[in-house]
Amino acid sequence: MSLAWLIRRLLLMAYTVIVVSILVFAITQILPADAAQSLLGENATPEALAALRAKLGLGDPAWLQYAHWASHVVTGDFGVSMCTSQPVGPEMLAALSRSLLVAVSSILLTLAVAVPLGVVAALRQGKFTDTGVSLVAYLGVSLPEFVTATLLALLLADTLHLLPATGYVSPLEDFIGGVRHLALPVLTVSVILIAHVMRMMRSETLDVLKSDYIRAARLKGLPERTVLFRHALRNALLPVVTIIALDVGYLLGGIIVIEEIFAIPGIGRALMVAITARDLPSIQAGALIMAATYVLTNTLADMAYALLDPRIRYD
Amino acid sequence: MTELLTRLIRKPQGFVGLSLLALVALACLFGPALAPYAPEKINFLGRFRAPGWQNWLGADQFGRDIFSRLMVGARSTVPMALIATFAGSAVGAIIGVGSAYFGGRADEAIMRTNDAVMAIPGLLMALLLVSTLGNGAGNAAIAIAIAFAPGMARVTRSVALNVRNQDYVKAAIARGEGALWIIFREMLPNVMAPIVIESTIRVSFAVMLFATLSFLGVGAQPPASEWGLMVADARQYMYQAPWALIAPSVAIAVAAIAFNLIGDGLRDALNPKDER
Amino acid sequence: MLSITRRHFLAGTAISLTILPKMALAEAPKRGGVLRMSIDQAASVIHPMLARVNPEYLVTELLYSNLTRLKPDMTVEPDLALSWEPNAALTEWVFKLRPDVTFHDGSPLTADDVVATINAILDPKTASPGRTNVGPIKEVAALDPLTVKFTLSGAYADLPVALTYLNARIVPAKVVTGALASLSTAANGTGPFKLTSYEPDRRIIVERNPAYYDPARPHLDRIELLVYPDRTAEASAMISGEIDLLLTTTPGQYERFVKADGVKALRTPSGQFLNINLGCDQKPFNDVRVRQALALAVDREATVGFVAGGYGTPGNDTPLSSAYHFYKNIPLKKPDIAKAKQLLADAGYPNGIDLTLIASDQPATRAQLGVAVREMAAAAGFRINVQTMPHATYLDQVWKKGIFYVGFYNMQPTADAIFNLLYTSNAAWNETRWNNSAFDAVINAARVENDEAKRSALYGKAQDMMHTEVPSVISAFFDLLAAQRSYVEGYVLHPRGSVFRLDMVSLGAGAPKRT
Repeated sequence: MSLAWLIRRLLLMAYTVIVVSILVFAITQILPADAAQSLLGENATPEALAALRAKLGLGDPAWLQYAHWASHVVTGDFGVSMCTSQPVGPEMLAALSRSLLVAVSSILLTLAVAVPLGVVAALRQGKFTDTGVSLVAYLGVSLPEFVTATLLALLLADTLHLLPATGYVSPLEDFIGGVRHLALPVLTVSVILIAHVMRMMRSETLDVLKSDYIRAARLKGLPERTVLFRHALRNALLPVVTIIALDVGYLLGGIIVIEEIFAIPGIGRALMVAITARDLPSIQAGALIMAATYVLTNTLADMAYALLDPRIRYD
Repeated sequence: MTELLTRLIRKPQGFVGLSLLALVALACLFGPALAPYAPEKINFLGRFRAPGWQNWLGADQFGRDIFSRLMVGARSTVPMALIATFAGSAVGAIIGVGSAYFGGRADEAIMRTNDAVMAIPGLLMALLLVSTLGNGAGNAAIAIAIAFAPGMARVTRSVALNVRNQDYVKAAIARGEGALWIIFREMLPNVMAPIVIESTIRVSFAVMLFATLSFLGVGAQPPASEWGLMVADARQYMYQAPWALIAPSVAIAVAAIAFNLIGDGLRDALNPKDER
Repeated sequence: MLSITRRHFLAGTAISLTILPKMALAEAPKRGGVLRMSIDQAASVIHPMLARVNPEYLVTELLYSNLTRLKPDMTVEPDLALSWEPNAALTEWVFKLRPDVTFHDGSPLTADDVVATINAILDPKTASPGRTNVGPIKEVAALDPLTVKFTLSGAYADLPVALTYLNARIVPAKVVTGALASLSTAANGTGPFKLTSYEPDRRIIVERNPAYYDPARPHLDRIELLVYPDRTAEASAMISGEIDLLLTTTPGQYERFVKADGVKALRTPSGQFLNINLGCDQKPFNDVRVRQALALAVDREATVGFVAGGYGTPGNDTPLSSAYHFYKNIPLKKPDIAKAKQLLADAGYPNGIDLTLIASDQPATRAQLGVAVREMAAAAGFRINVQTMPHATYLDQVWKKGIFYVGFYNMQPTADAIFNLLYTSNAAWNETRWNNSAFDAVINAARVENDEAKRSALYGKAQDMMHTEVPSVISAFFDLLAAQRSYVEGYVLHPRGSVFRLDMVSLGAGAPKRT
């Protein structure tokens, strides 16, 4: 991986972020009812609305509002929320950290479960284990997240009393409590990820096991375990990295529903609230952060490729 | 076409998928005729009735018959998902093929912008669009189509790049055919297979995305019998009337699994080299 | 029902609050403990003059005080004001303030703070919802550091009640003149609690104000407010003991609470209602027969079942429920489809009529009512299409302007308040544009009337008029529903819906120890 490659990726990230911000801004301009209306609610008299709109800068032409916002963002100032009058940047980043907690835990759980399951299914192709595992995978992706969340909460919290049904506790304040409260949301998110990754792992492992160099390795007389772990796995993992990178987009989006049900004050929920309240600075900041996270993850995924397969070079 | 179907049925996934799809299609086509009650007929005395001879799958909080609502709701749920996916795929395919055709700098620019749009998570994009366009199933479909387009563009482009380098395309360019003609007549038909496979699988995502939008209150609106809305409404009465939650969830799962299986089956059927 | 004599109602005196009200408790409330309470949406606005929704009213009630406070029986008790006295014409009121009260920053409360606060609320530039709800105040002045005089623009018997309004919380004069906007992020009030931590979307923590004017209160050390957007999951959290008290719940969850161990389900009838507003200045609803036809098509008891889950009382097309003081018991309108059809035909719609009913998405009960009414009115020939939209859009495009839409209102402290809010010609929120001058005359007469019997007769007449002419179809009043753990003591679900009095709450035996 050369420096030139890294710089190109960073420029790409900047480009992505700019396009996203323009697109989101354009959409927010067409949103009916604005923040002033949302804030004043039933008490919006024409004078009050006018006064508040002037104060929030909503009267300026669109390009001016955007330019104003963009010029602040490059210095790290995401502006102030139209609802709470608190600075948006720190709030959004705090929310992001909590969402990332769920996301990263889900990815780790997924890898720990889906990779071995996929390999096992591939090794026992056509047999009962394979069919069973595939079936569970299909079920996992066939229910919307809020249904999966509801069913898991019903089973593990309401009926078996193993886990708390909802709520967020910061692991920094109370580690055990934090982990227990994260278990259900992480499980829910992982269900879909595991299904994807497992099927991908299975088909890739099957592919790789038939490839020439695996046959060569077997002919060389290498023990099956070495064949499996040293050679097959490495190559099967590559597309898994792709799938995870692609799924980050789903993760960031699907997390909106998870955060709503499990009362996690993450970035998905912050965006929901911001959209309902037409809080433009918060919508912009939230969308931007999500886009940046997505691009960053993709870049990291590409770097992981290079690590996994020394044949891949970036220059 | 028939050859494809036979190949599809031979595979276990294809077979199960098509059977489930047949069930769903039955509901879509003949649903209203099969429904014993009007789906919106409220019945004060029959609220939360458990499944039995009066209501085969039970009744909801308004006393409406769940089986009838499922049957009629098939028409609101599945075709909408199909339309949204089809529209998204069409737009995405044109962008993807066009980008591959033009190649070089234009391809870079288009794809980079496409990726940038893809950086906005699908649900978030759908939420923003629905907030702008207004609540409702129709707008939700438009929003989902727009959210799907960039992903489809990406998939199409990679296949189209291969096609671009084929002889028949080069010949057409040499002949002096116009860009639109080449894109639509030479390239698109040859990228159909991956588009169809990807789209079929995406239909199941569309069904679930619809349901999620209904859960968030911006998809189908009451009193529609859209399956996602039925599940979302039934959640709060889960403890009194679990059947109101289970029935539409199973229906959604059946539809989603059907499309998933068919998509997988198609992928296998269209790629005979993979003996799985 | 409330039996208020004029004297009691008009001139309040200090009640020593160290004498505990007669409750079931034999021993004094235990001091200390942390209460975990869940709210259904983030309290984004903590500026007391700008708060708009219940969680925000809750937070500002913890941090600030009004001059007067509303008790659960809807009568008034002293808060920052110890006593008040009107003149004979009810146009001038003198309030005596409680001495030795300090704001959180230590500065003393004086009459100047009250004057500055009221003036700020009345100032249109502040855009406070309180502006039209604190009474017809023309002028407010400080007579001495502990005495405030209100000069009204007309006779008004309910000033002490009006001053309990949720945005009329007293803030320091220096903040009003200095930086009123600073109250959006920091709090400086005289309330029983101080703001310790404010993360609007995550958690709000308030702690006991050691300088609160009543040393016995509040009993709790600390209150943590957590946002739980999903009612179903929140109910699970209550049942498993994660939270001690919740703000509000739905009928579906209420039934879980009734059955759950260690949980006490709370329920109180209130004047909260959904109204179907009919634009009385346009076709088709400018014809009273069409309005009456719709009213006759609706089965009110069924509405209570469908929309309130059975937890409510039927409505008779007036905004007063039995929880209001001047409620008149008119026989309930029963559905009469044949008569409804006849009325529609007489009005020129023999083949029925097509209408679009708009319901905002907040709360979800609006659309539920829409759906129920749609089915019920279909039999009479009303072909209704229910259309939902986001709340902000509804407020912007439909509210007060539309001809057929669903409104939602909490209980107001007085009959005058609700009638003047919605149904008089110059009402701030004239939803129906009924503009009935005879009705206005009745309401205005009642407002300045001192005699209880005469007042009762006038309000009775007003209710009859609405019952007959139906500017809005009001088919159900909601009971307020909430839940608490059994060990929470002293919490009373207030019919007003936005008064909480958490300074009276304590934790009894069985409460978990929380740090």
